[in-house]
Order: sequence, then structure tokens, then C-alpha cells
Amino acid sequence: MNDKLRINKLFALSSENRKFSFAVPLKNKIRIGKRDYIVQLKSDEKYGLYILWKNRKYPVEIVRSRQNKYEILFNDISYTFTVETPFSMQRMKVLSSKKGKTEQESVKAPMPGKIIDVLVREGSTVLRGEAVVILEAMKMQNEILSPVNGKVIKVMAKANANVMKDDVLVEIKVE
Amino acid sequence: MKIKKILIANRGEIAIRIMKTARLMKIRCVAIKTAVETNAMYLSHADEIFDNSDDLSEIPVFLDIEKLISIALKTGSDALHPGYGFLAENAYFAQKCLDNKIIFIGPSPDAIYKMGNKTIARKLALKSGIPMAMGSEGNIANEEEAVEIAKKIGYPVIIKAASGGGGRGMRIVRKEEEMEKMFLLASKEAEKAFNDPSVFVEKYIENPKHIEFQILGDTKGNVIHLGERECSIQRKHQKLLEEAPSVALDDKLRSRMGKMAVQIAKAVSYYSAGTVEFLLDSDRNFYFMEMNTRIQVEHPVTEIITGIDLIEQQIRIANGEALKFTQEEIKIKGWAIECRINAEDVQAGFAPDPGRIENLSMPSDSYIRVDTGIQAGSAIVPSYDSMIAKLIVSGKDRKEAIKNCKMALDKVWIKGTKTTLPFFRMLVRNQKFQDGTFTTAFIEKDLDKYYFNSEYEEMLAAWLATKLFVEENLMEDSINVDFKNGKEMSPWLMNKRMNQF
Repeated sequence: MNDKLRINKLFALSSENRKFSFAVPLKNKIRIGKRDYIVQLKSDEKYGLYILWKNRKYPVEIVRSRQNKYEILFNDISYTFTVETPFSMQRMKVLSSKKGKTEQESVKAPMPGKIIDVLVREGSTVLRGEAVVILEAMKMQNEILSPVNGKVIKVMAKANANVMKDDVLVEIKVE
Repeated sequence: MKIKKILIANRGEIAIRIMKTARLMKIRCVAIKTAVETNAMYLSHADEIFDNSDDLSEIPVFLDIEKLISIALKTGSDALHPGYGFLAENAYFAQKCLDNKIIFIGPSPDAIYKMGNKTIARKLALKSGIPMAMGSEGNIANEEEAVEIAKKIGYPVIIKAASGGGGRGMRIVRKEEEMEKMFLLASKEAEKAFNDPSVFVEKYIENPKHIEFQILGDTKGNVIHLGERECSIQRKHQKLLEEAPSVALDDKLRSRMGKMAVQIAKAVSYYSAGTVEFLLDSDRNFYFMEMNTRIQVEHPVTEIITGIDLIEQQIRIANGEALKFTQEEIKIKGWAIECRINAEDVQAGFAPDPGRIENLSMPSDSYIRVDTGIQAGSAIVPSYDSMIAKLIVSGKDRKEAIKNCKMALDKVWIKGTKTTLPFFRMLVRNQKFQDGTFTTAFIEKDLDKYYFNSEYEEMLAAWLATKLFVEENLMEDSINVDFKNGKEMSPWLMNKRMNQF
């Protein structure tokens, strides 16, 4: 990486747009107020991978890592971060100012299961909160609702098909 | 004791729970090994294992009546315990056991049938003078009939499966336009789950508390109750946390509701352990909902506050013994809370998250009881429920029980799947939960966040993401991590984790 020598800071951006900055080289210390606290990443047979912080162990798992995107399970809660350098941060700012708001919304399967019924067709108008697909998972039938008002532009879901978590079921143009 | 050997027609924590008591009573137990869980923990608690792992049929053996009867006969079991779920409330199965001279540890086939059919149960309750929500007299044929009844009793109404239970085949209807869709959904779901599409309509009680009474009856006609459990913390009719007793009841109301519970049990000459479920509205009116003719998942909280082993009672009653205590001798002491720790993703609407449990460590203390059928290495398989463990915590009063629960929850360590732990960590800190003023609408209406994380947890997760980024992109040799403080993570392990991505 050519940027390597010039980087003195990294940012972890959460999916909810919270920003955490860390000095590079990264230390095993985090400053809170006027005190430094030691943070350690450890691993052993009994507990697996964990973080030791203020005398307490927290379970951690690295669920996914792709390029600069990381999904981390920390104490049973998942967080997604993109790690940015000062340069990529700058680039992102420029890009986002050029792009408008998203006009399309994908309805995804919240869990793996089987499609029981597809309640919309291409061209259907849907209201926010209206059921678009019925998905059966763990013997329960769940209504998958449209998150927006809009028009259905694509239907990927097929009755009786099995789907994975996060598979796109329906695409809706926001109106 | 007539009963010498019990076939456990179940798996997981409840199989272990039954075998623990049977062992104390010096009764031998037979467990069934299945193809999906050949190394399951419950097998190690059995005196004898029947190996059914060569049976690859899609229907679990625990639902296969003929097979279970033949296993009972082959293994010389003189009794059978169905646990909960599966065939626990199947009258035909109970009858089949009796026909084959196998003692069914549960109520009579007649009681199971009558209480299992919600329309018959409704009629029985009405006849016994039990308060009930208004509704259809029997099953309804179509949505037009449902609309007509709803007009009479007023919206909102709830459509329920006649053969239902466990929250399936139920739909709330708030206005006429929704009736057609909801009727079809409920009926379809009922047919799929219970092989019976028939449904009925009832007035929907808004924001009630779910209060249920544990009852015990013997074959001599004695029936008593062991107080109530509050199970209002539920999501889509699935209970998440139960406690006993309930803050909503005083002695007077407890005794009134308890009497009604006993009365309805007597109407079907009930014996064994059973549960009568009521809804309690904000004016403290109560309505009979249904009776469960089995041991329940949440039975431990009652065992803790009464000191009575309910499985032991079930076995003794099945053995023909009379109850050894009267209603007056039942004393309620202390408070108990049960958290159902399930493999579910709280952040994704409690979606099941099956997988292999990599590490598991449960706290132990005098105020903690853990009922589990899962250990490190066990898999949560999609064919069964998503329960990992029941964490049961007690205290001298509710406040102390909640405090103990909070401490215990922080000591539970589960890795491999996401769990409902963050939900319970939030719940024990919630003001409304602490006050006890919550209803069954609590999760859907009163919560804006389903999990708890302490102030620094997200920051620490961000630090870890940054560390991974640094190791992958900015270091000369990303494998040789320099952990100055603490034990170094082995390059092998790091490699393994990297490969998993």
C-alpha cells in the first residue's frame, strides 16, 4: 500500500454513521477522559476469542471482513464498520455530495426460510407497512413488509422457493 | 413403585430434566438417539440408549407414534414421558400408550382431547362458570361468518386455531377489511401446524397480562394449584421470560383465579401437571384462555417458589399415588425468573440463528439454576427449537431476583450463534419491567431498542475493526501480530480465522 507511510490516523465508521478515530500505529490503549485503559485481544480454549477491558472479558467474533468492511460480534451484538484512512474519508465526502438520495429500496429476507406466497407483482403500488411476501421460517409464517411507499419494479421472490438471509425479495421504487 | 423404566419421548433440556428426577427416584430411563443429534448431551444422562440414528425419515421420531410405541415395547419401558412439544398433547398417542399397557406420564387421553380442542374447552369453561372473552360459539366456516361475529362483539378480535397452541394459527384483526386476509393466514397456518384448519373468533383483550396457574391433580379426584406464573414478556405469542409469582396478583385475586383453574381442571377429571392460562386486563378482570395439558417450559419458576418437583409429582401421579399435600399446605416463598436463552438474532427481529455452539459457560451460584441440553460443540439444528438454555434465577423478593438475574446474565458466555442475551440484559435494566407494569404488548409497543450495550462496547468493537484493518493492510507481515500485553494469539489461529472470512 502506497499510502502506508503517510497514514497517522484511521476512522471506523459505524453503519449508523458514528465515527471512531484511532491514532496509527494502533496502540493497545484507549484514552477515556484523562486516563488510558488497556484493551487486549486474547484467545484461549475455554472462551475462544475475547477482548479484555477493565478486568472484564467480552466475547468477540469476526463475522465477516471484506475489503475495508468489518462485521464484528461484540458481547452478542453485531456492529458493522468501514475502516477509512484520512484520504478515503476525503474521497467519500466528495462522492456523497455528488450523489442524490437513494430512490430504490430492496426488501430483503430477514431470515432464511421458504417463500409461501408473493403478494405483489411488478407494477403493484405498495404502502409502507404493507405485506409483500409471506416467508415461513422455523414453522412460523412471517409477513415481510414494505419499508416505503412506492411501486414494485422487480419481484425476485418465487412461491415455494427457499431463500437465504438477506436475499433480495422485491425491489421498490420510492414514490 | 410400579414404574421401573421410562422411555423419554423427547430431547434436549427437558429430556435431561426428566431423567434427573427419575434417577433420584431410582427409575431407569431410555433415551432415543437420532440422526440429527448423534452426540446430543441428553444421551449422556440416560441409563439406556435406543439407537434410531439409521432412521433418516423427515418426520422426527418424537412425532412418530407407531415407532415410539414399538421402541417402548422393545426396550421394556413400562412408562413414557412425552416432555413438552412433539406428542405431549396428542390424545391419540396417549391412548395408544394405554392400549399397549405403557403408562403415559401425563393426563388422560380424554382430558388432552377436550382441552386440546379450543372450541370444546371454551364450552366446558362456560359451563363451569369460568369468565371468558366473548366469541364464536364454535368453529367458524368462513370469513363472512367471522365478520358477522366480529360485528356483534366489536373489533379488535382474534382468530385462533381450534387445535392450536404455542401462538401458531393466531391473527389479530382490527378492522373488517383485514378479515379475509387474516382468516386465510390463520387457517392456512393452523392446517400446516396442527393438521386442522378450523378456527374460531374471540374478542381480543388489549394489553393484558398473561397469567397462568400451575395445577396438579391425582387419579383420586384431588386437584390443587401451585400459584401463578406471569408470562407477559412475549413476542408474537412466544414467551421469552417468565416469573413467579406475579406482581399483578394479591392473595385475594390469586385465590379467586386459582379456584377457577382448579374448577376447570375438575371439569375434565384432570390428573397430572397442567397449566390454566388466563388473560388479566387493566381492570383486573380475568378471562380463561386455554389449558395446557403438559409440563411447561417455564415449570422451574414454580418449582423454586413452592419447593415441589413437578416431574416427581407427574411420575407419582402416573404411578397411581394420591397427592401428599393439600391446597392449604402449598406455601409460596421468594421470587423466581426464567430467561429463555435462544439462538436468535435480536437485532434481526429475533430471527432464528442456528449453528454450532463453540464455547459455552454458564454461571453457578446458590440462586442460579440452569436447565440446558446444549454444551460446547452442540449444534442448534433448524429441525428443532432454538433453545440453548433456561437461566433460572431466584431471590427473596422480586427486586433481589432481578438484581441476581442482572449479575448472572453478565456471566453467561455463549459463542457460535447470536443469542437473546442482549435482550435480557436490556430487560432487567428497563424501568417498566422493574415496576412490573408491563403487558403482553410490552415488546412491540414499549421498546425502541431490543438490546443493551454498555457505554464503551461499540467503541471497543470499532477498535477491533481498526486493528484487523491495520493487520491486513498496513503491516509488513500481517500474521506476526505483536500482542505485547497478554497472551499472543497463535499465528495458526489467526490464519484459521482469516480463512473463515
